[in-house]
Amino acid sequence: MKKSLILVCTILVGLGAVIVFPQQEVVISIKDGMPVIPLALPEFISQSTAPEIKSYGEKLHQIISADLEYSRVFQLLPKSHYSYIRSLNPKKIHFKDWESIQATLLMVGILSDSEKKDFLFEGKVYDVKSGRFIFGKRYQSAESLLRLVAHKMADEIMKIYGERPIFTSKVVYISNRDGNDELYMMDYDGENQTRLTFNKIVDYMPAWSVDAKKIAYTSYRGTEAGLYIYNPYEGVRKEVTSSGTNFAPAFSPDGKKLAFCSTVEEGNSEIYVANSAGTNIKRLTFNIAIDTSPSWSPNGREIAFTSDRGGTPQIYVMDAEGSNVRRVSFGGSYHDAPAWSPTGDRIAYVSRVDQIFDIYVLNLRTNKIIKLTESNARNESPTWSPNGRHLIFSSNLSGSIQLYTIDYDSLNLKRLTSKGSNKLPDWSR
Amino acid sequence: MKKLAIFSLAFLLVFSFMISCKKKVEEAPPPPLPEPVQEEQPVIEEQPVVEEVEEEPVVEEPQLTEEEIYLQKSLDEMNAEAPMEMIYFDFDKYFIRDDAKPVLEANAEWLEQFDSIQIVIEGHCDERGTEEYNLSLGEKRAKSTLDYLVSLGISADRIKIISYGKSQPIDLEHNEDAWQKNRRAQSKIIGK
Repeated sequence: MKKSLILVCTILVGLGAVIVFPQQEVVISIKDGMPVIPLALPEFISQSTAPEIKSYGEKLHQIISADLEYSRVFQLLPKSHYSYIRSLNPKKIHFKDWESIQATLLMVGILSDSEKKDFLFEGKVYDVKSGRFIFGKRYQSAESLLRLVAHKMADEIMKIYGERPIFTSKVVYISNRDGNDELYMMDYDGENQTRLTFNKIVDYMPAWSVDAKKIAYTSYRGTEAGLYIYNPYEGVRKEVTSSGTNFAPAFSPDGKKLAFCSTVEEGNSEIYVANSAGTNIKRLTFNIAIDTSPSWSPNGREIAFTSDRGGTPQIYVMDAEGSNVRRVSFGGSYHDAPAWSPTGDRIAYVSRVDQIFDIYVLNLRTNKIIKLTESNARNESPTWSPNGRHLIFSSNLSGSIQLYTIDYDSLNLKRLTSKGSNKLPDWSR
Repeated sequence: MKKLAIFSLAFLLVFSFMISCKKKVEEAPPPPLPEPVQEEQPVIEEQPVVEEVEEEPVVEEPQLTEEEIYLQKSLDEMNAEAPMEMIYFDFDKYFIRDDAKPVLEANAEWLEQFDSIQIVIEGHCDERGTEEYNLSLGEKRAKSTLDYLVSLGISADRIKIISYGKSQPIDLEHNEDAWQKNRRAQSKIIGK
């Protein structure tokens, strides 16, 4: 399977020169290790005599490098290449030098003292061939927000290529590291793991609002598993519904609606939709079977979900009003947790085969399925990066349940968490 | 033989005559003092029978019914005793198994006896289902348990249901034994 894919990709790469592919097909060509945009990122220059400023520059450089390496959009030139050319002079850049080592883009970072904060960082990006300045950003910041500054700069570089920024996105998840299942959030790269709820009750299945300011989640209070919307920045919690078991919330891409599951009627889980404030609840599915796990298409017109109305759990798609239901998963006996890619063309889901859970991606245009994870483990709850190039999921690969990231083409598996068990991730848009 | 009997009878007669003659000769002894007997009598009179009567109202306490005694316990105490056994389910299924029916019948009897008790039935799953589907499946397990109790005459108003999916396993091992223990519906008392 993998070999044939690589073959197909190789052919696509060959054709890529003459045929204009839609974006996601260009992405496939990266699989062969072809850098889309070779970027030179020489060490940042410190204009201060203070040693801290120099060390901030090193940290910023390291974080931005890691971000862009992860992106699959850019490829950093090997550092060894820099020794072949004259060292960087930000006042007079020799673009021919940079072109000679195959750089397409050049980013220059300059650090200096800040009057009000800890440092001033200026990032400038140039097109090497034309020697043209593309854009620049200046950040004045405290040291505590250094990572955020780096991620913001890396996001700006993504934006110039029409990529949705991902480095300032957040992942909300459930962890029991402090003894009880509570809400946590972290950066996309696993840094800044922060506890959000402090209680003795079980919190479960969180989902970001579109602006990543609020989190819808299930909380077990007494005999009810209610659905709540929580603003961690203001500490405000609002109840959506508390009768029955309510779970698997998903905000619509326009931010106006909230789909979720509830067992309030007859103890059978059905999909409901409310407005984003949690009021005006309407039922979408009417079936004696289990309907669960709603996931919106990026245009908000459709909802993918899981149902066992055919005898086993399978992935279905319906119109956002609940009509026009059709099955989209075949060939297995247990499929769940659909996650519609932000690019619209793919649905990631979990498939159980012989008690092993792996994550698959169905391409809705080609009907082709690729297997993302290949492990003797339970890989669950996939969630896409805002640009659809990466996923985060939970896995017991290492024994305990932890969060991992993997690219859309099953490359670059990396573990993000290690304390306690960590599960049910949701990646902000 | 007859001669011996006549002889011994005659001997007895003669002997008794001799004794009676002797008594008449002796002086009559003074009557024995009844004092020891008189001393014992006041002890009998002092026996505090009356006191026992005074304590009788205390004896009424144990007259509470078994139900009333039970209901004096706190909910935590009741649940610690787990008066209703849990039932188990087949993999991926939520129907009530034959081995669960007698358990639920016993639970229903208990609920009839303590007819003010309210419960929540929790549905649980093993780790071999996905998080999302398991939450729905756990609810189905709780619901079919509720339905079975209702079919045995227990009012549905007394029962709530909730699902925990696979988030609350009671056995953390990864084998069939553990999975079977975790695929369960258990009842907790929430009101009395």
